[in-house]
Amino acid sequence: MKSVKRTDWGRRTPPIGGTNFELYAWFFMRISGLFLVLLAAGHMFIMHVFNDTLNLDYEFVAARWDTPYWRTFDWLLLTLSILHGTNGLRIVMHDNIANKTFRQLALYGLYFTSTAFFILGTYVLVAFVREV
Amino acid sequence: MAYQDIVSTGSVYKGRTGMWLYLFHRITGVALFGYLLLHIISTALILAGPEIYEGAEAIYKNFYFRIGEVGLMAAVLAHAINGLRIIAVDLWSKGSDYQKALNISAMIVFIAIFVPTTYKMIDSYFELCLEKSSAGTTIVDCMIRPLPDWKTK
Ligand code: HEM
Repeated sequence: MKSVKRTDWGRRTPPIGGTNFELYAWFFMRISGLFLVLLAAGHMFIMHVFNDTLNLDYEFVAARWDTPYWRTFDWLLLTLSILHGTNGLRIVMHDNIANKTFRQLALYGLYFTSTAFFILGTYVLVAFVREV
Repeated sequence: MAYQDIVSTGSVYKGRTGMWLYLFHRITGVALFGYLLLHIISTALILAGPEIYEGAEAIYKNFYFRIGEVGLMAAVLAHAINGLRIIAVDLWSKGSDYQKALNISAMIVFIAIFVPTTYKMIDSYFELCLEKSSAGTTIVDCMIRPLPDWKTK
């Protein structure tokens, strides 16, 4: 692969030093995106096209979660979409909130919310026991 | 052609297809994350038992929410297909040589999947509504009534 030496960074500061975190985050968005095509688009087709949400009831969910496979599918979907979405929103906030204090507050709010929803979702998937 | 000369040109917003796809990807991504949080809450209600869970689900069982579901499907499909286009441009060695073709393919694939799924979702809504409602219910009833009157089964 031929490489190009970049000499003009426009108005941006050249990214010198630091860690490779942003590179891995960039790569993660693409790899998790590939998995989410199976998980998220698959979930949409199963719940909204092959079945109809008008038929969605307690029994339907309980029957799915009777098998550990669907619980695993749903947990992978939960985990990857929260990680992918949180990192996506982190980028959006860095791009769009210029004020440093507001940006930090928004980011902390985002990380707190994502952690709370990840814990809630995981708890539901692990703790659910059918009542009827 | 895989690399361009890098020159400073000021704004990156050139108002062409790529910019609109970027904006669209961002809007659908943020919207999907917001929906994801609501969806986790409504699904978590299942721990409260059948009555509460199905009581909450009943709120969604009308035509207005079916339109919303079609919109959700559009957002997922658009973000997923455009996401695959981004992955092709970034990770496939020839991707950046075919950007125009990839832009157009993404839009064609979107329409090719979105149109039949929409048809299925709308068609099956009316079929099930008529089947589950009491005799004499019409398609117009199914469309305008906030909560279809389900036959008690
Ligand atoms: C269905 C399969 C999906 C694929 C293939 C996919 C792909 C991608 C890719 C490649 C990016 C990076 C864009 C960039 O760096 O310019 C991205 C960004 C993003 N995605 Fe997804 N994604 C998918 C599902 C989701 C879901 C389910 C959510 C919501 C939880 C989501 C939320 C986001 C957000 C918020 C961004 C940031 C937008 C931006 O930076 O402009 N994505 N997606």
